Amino acid sequence: MENEVKAKQPKVKKPLLKMPYERRKSMYGYGFLALWMIGTLKWFLIPLIKSFFYSFNNVQPDTGGMRVEWAGIDNYKFAFMSDPDFRTLLVEVLKDVIPDTALILIFSLFIAVILNQQFKGRTFARAVFFLPVIIATGPVYSIINGDLSTTGSSDASQFSTMFETDLVAELMNFLGIYGLSDSLTETIQTVTTDVFGIVWSSGIQILIFLAALQNIPPSSREAAQIEGATAWEYFWKIILPYVSPMILANLIYTIIDAFNSPTNQVMARILSVQSDWQYGTAAAMAWSYFAIIMAGLGIIVLIMNRFIYYEVD
Amino acid sequence: MADSIATTAGDAVVKTADEVGNGMTKKQALKLRMQGMTKEEIGYLRRKRAAEKVWPFFRFLILFGLCFVILYPLIFMVSCAFRDPIDMNDPTVMWIPRHLSLTPIKDVLKVMDFGKTVGNTLILNIGCALVQVITCAITGYGFARFKFKGKNLLFGIVLMMILVPPQVILIPLYEQFRYFDVFGIIKLVTGDTISLLDTFWTMYLPAMTANGIRSGLMIFIFRQFFKGLPKELEDAAYLDGCGPLRTFVQIMIPNAASSFLTVFLFSVVWYWNDYYVSSVFFQNNVTIALMVKNLSTQLNLYLFNDATVNVSVREKIVWLESGCLLSITPLLVMYVFLQKYFTEGIERSGLVA
Repeated sequence: MENEVKAKQPKVKKPLLKMPYERRKSMYGYGFLALWMIGTLKWFLIPLIKSFFYSFNNVQPDTGGMRVEWAGIDNYKFAFMSDPDFRTLLVEVLKDVIPDTALILIFSLFIAVILNQQFKGRTFARAVFFLPVIIATGPVYSIINGDLSTTGSSDASQFSTMFETDLVAELMNFLGIYGLSDSLTETIQTVTTDVFGIVWSSGIQILIFLAALQNIPPSSREAAQIEGATAWEYFWKIILPYVSPMILANLIYTIIDAFNSPTNQVMARILSVQSDWQYGTAAAMAWSYFAIIMAGLGIIVLIMNRFIYYEVD
Repeated sequence: MADSIATTAGDAVVKTADEVGNGMTKKQALKLRMQGMTKEEIGYLRRKRAAEKVWPFFRFLILFGLCFVILYPLIFMVSCAFRDPIDMNDPTVMWIPRHLSLTPIKDVLKVMDFGKTVGNTLILNIGCALVQVITCAITGYGFARFKFKGKNLLFGIVLMMILVPPQVILIPLYEQFRYFDVFGIIKLVTGDTISLLDTFWTMYLPAMTANGIRSGLMIFIFRQFFKGLPKELEDAAYLDGCGPLRTFVQIMIPNAASSFLTVFLFSVVWYWNDYYVSSVFFQNNVTIALMVKNLSTQLNLYLFNDATVNVSVREKIVWLESGCLLSITPLLVMYVFLQKYFTEGIERSGLVA
C-alpha cells in the first residue's frame, strides 16, 4: 500500500506543478511585466486617477496629505470662464502648433530626401541635423532660443528677423496682392518667424523619415527610372506612398512633443496655477487640455488613415 | 533598334554598335547616341543633365544654410565662453574675442559647484538611464514575445504613458513620494509614511520599475525591436532546455546589443536634459540640468550679489553661455564618438518596418 502511494504521488503532483507549456509561457509573460506593472500602478495609474479625481475637487495641501472637498465641475468652469489667460493661451498654442507641425513634417521629409542622396560630406551633414536631438530637450535650448533675445543682438532670434513680416508683406505687395486677410498674414508670420524653431525641432522626424526612405526597395527606383520618371514624379508617386505610414507616426510624435513640452505656454500657465496651490484648477486645466489634444489626434489619425499606403507582405 | 529609330528620324546617320569604337570621347559617344533619339527623349536627357549639374549646387546651398542655423548658437556659445566680458560691449567683436579669458568659465565652474554637480548627475541620471534601459527591455520583451490575457489592455497603458503629459500626473506623483508607502505596509510598521523627497529614490524607484522619463517610448521601441528578431533564435534555445529568463539573458540580449546602446544613449540624453521632473523632487539644484535652468539666479546669488560688482545684462551672457557650454560638452563628446549609434540605431530598431 505504501508503495502504491509513493508511486502515485509524483503522478498526481506532476500536472499540478507543471502547467501546460502554453500556460506556463503566458505566466512567464506576466513575470516579465511584473516590475513594470507594479511601477505603473504606483507611479502612473494611481497618480492619473488621483489627478482626474482632483479636477472635480477643491484641493488644499494639509499635514499628512491633501484635504479634498467635492466641487463638481467648478474647476472646469473656472478654467474656461473665469481664468483670464487659459482660454486665450489655449487658442494661441493651437494656432501655433498646427502650422508648425505641418512645416516640421514638410521640412523634415525634404531634408531626409536630400540626406538620403549620395554626396560628399553626407555623414557630417547628418551629424549636424541630428545634433538638436541631444540639445533641444534640455534647459540649454531655452537659453539659446529665446531668453537672450531681449538682450543680445547676436543670437538665435537674429535669424527670425531676416524673415520678418515686413518682408512677406512687401513681397505680397510686389506681387500685387493687397488686403490679405489678417489671419492669413498672421499665419505667414508665425511660419516665417520660427525658422529656427522648426529646424531645431525636426531632428527625430528627419531620422525616422530617413530610415523609412532607406526601406524603399531599390527595384521600385529602377522601375521608375526605366519608365523615365523625373525626380518630381518619383517623389510623388514612389517616395510619398512608401513613407506615408511614417508621416502619420511623425505627425503624432510632433504633436505630442509640441503640446507636452514644458516651454509650451499652456503648460507654463498650468504650472503657475499649480504653484499657487490651486491643485484642483490645475488638474482641471491639464485634463481639458489633454482631452482636446486627444480629440484632435483622434480626428487626424482617422482622416490620415484613409490616405496611407500600407505595403502588403 | 537604333537603326529603326534612325529610319523614322529620317536624315540622321547612325553608326551601329560595331562602329562605336573605344577611342571616342564621352561627348562624341553621347552625340552619336542622341542622333537616333526622338525630340522628347533628347529633351528628357537634356533636362536630366542640367538638373544633375545644378542640383548639387543648390543642395550645397540649402544644407550649408541650414547647418549654419543649427550650429550658429553653438559657435556663438564657444565664442562667448572664452571672451572677457568687456568684449560684449565692443561692437567690433563679432566672433573672435579680442580679449581671451578663462575667468567666466572658472567663475561658472565655481558657481555651479561643478565637480559635485557632475558627480550627482552621473549617479542620478546616468545610473537611472542604465537601470531604466534594463527594465524597459525586460518589459518590452514581455510584450513582444508572450501571449497572455489582458496584453492589449496593458499595452494600451504603455501607449497612455507616451501620450499623457507629465504635467497631468505631477502633483499626485509628488504626493506619492512625499507620503511614500508600499501599499500601507510602512505606515503599519512605523506609524507614519516617509518622505522620499530630495533623495535619489525619487529618480531610481520609477526607473527601477520601468516608469522613469519617457519610459513608455522606450518600452515601445524595445517591443518593436524584439518583435523584429527571428523567432527561430528562441525556439532553438527552448528546445535545448533553456528557460525564458535564460533565453532572454543569453540569447536575446547579445543579439540586441547595438539596439541596447542606442536606447541607452537616448535615455542618457533625456535624463541628462531633464529639469522638469527633477525640479519637482529636488529643492536644491542637484543636477546639471537644474543648475543650468537656474543659472541666472545662481549667478546673481553668488557672483553679482556684491553691490560693488556692476555687470550689465549683456555682459552676463558670457557667463550664461559658459554654463551652457560646460553642461553640453559631455553630451557633445559622446555624440561625436557614438554618432553612428544615435542615427543607425533608430533605423535598425524596427520602428519603421
